[in-house]
Amino acid sequence: MDDDAHPSAGSSTPPVGDGEAWTVLAYLISGPLLYGGLGWLADRWLGTSPWLVLVGIVGGMALAVYLVWVRYGAHDRRPPTASS
Amino acid sequence: MRALLAAASDGYEAPGTGIFWQPLFGQGQWTATRAMVLMLLSIIILGAWLLLTTRRVAVVPGRWQFFTEQVYGLVRNGVARDIIGSREFLRYVPMLFTMFVIILLNNLFGVIPPFQFPVMSRIGFPVALTLVVYVVYHTVGIRRMGLGGYFKHMIPPGVPGWVLVILFPLELLTYFFTRPVTLALRLFGNMFAGHLLLVLFITGGEYLLFHSGVPAYIPVGIFSYIMAFVMTLFEILVEFLQAYIFVLLAALYIAGSLADEH
Repeated sequence: MDDDAHPSAGSSTPPVGDGEAWTVLAYLISGPLLYGGLGWLADRWLGTSPWLVLVGIVGGMALAVYLVWVRYGAHDRRPPTASS
Repeated sequence: MRALLAAASDGYEAPGTGIFWQPLFGQGQWTATRAMVLMLLSIIILGAWLLLTTRRVAVVPGRWQFFTEQVYGLVRNGVARDIIGSREFLRYVPMLFTMFVIILLNNLFGVIPPFQFPVMSRIGFPVALTLVVYVVYHTVGIRRMGLGGYFKHMIPPGVPGWVLVILFPLELLTYFFTRPVTLALRLFGNMFAGHLLLVLFITGGEYLLFHSGVPAYIPVGIFSYIMAFVMTLFEILVEFLQAYIFVLLAALYIAGSLADEH
């Protein structure tokens, strides 16, 4: 309790550093899972197996990487003073 | 070669998933397993440890109080404050600390005789812990931003509209499915695989040394025991790491729900 009088108290900084790497994993799994899954369904419906599932997996992967770049890329790092 | 295979197949049976089902008493739906008893035991041990070492708190801590403060400080400052931010982290410290010590002790049970069973290798335990985290980070987010605002915050900033149509489902799946599933499975899988590996090296080594009856197997058995020792050290590392990562991710998810600047 007593070391709350920390100089940086009051400025809630966004999560930084290596912790983020672990949240990225969930995105990287979601992408291929969702669009690979949709591709698989479309394959069954259209009888194009296995092409759409492949497109879905690769496309989902690309989307996931893009999303990670948007969310965690260095381009939207604002200086910590602006965040509170 | 056939003789080797025959010796291996009729004598030694490699450990499988069966070693994780260890009923102690009761039957049917009401069977109490080794994992359940260990979980209960861990809560008693943790409760006693925390109560005894904090009952008379001194400004200059004794050895035990110091140890407790170190563990508490790791979660409070190293995880909660660093990740959630110094303004709001205190509310979440009790939950994160409790989860950390419960997971850590139950993981360490995997290598401490006579417990020697990692409780988190039974999927129900990580799932239960994950459910708590799941409810907490969604509740925190919805309370903070409102239901609409919470979903709006999942929309990544600065993305053109047509890409959003395919990105948003991905975010939804991540928030509501992949995050909790990976959180539970990571802990479960690590403990499950580690325990299986240890049991394989130890029982395999024992068979090769004492029961195979083939002198040529003895060096292999010794090697198997060396591996068991090395893997035990590695397991201890993994057990710490998984407890830490579980809490770290819980804190990151909560922090994500609190950050309303997107």
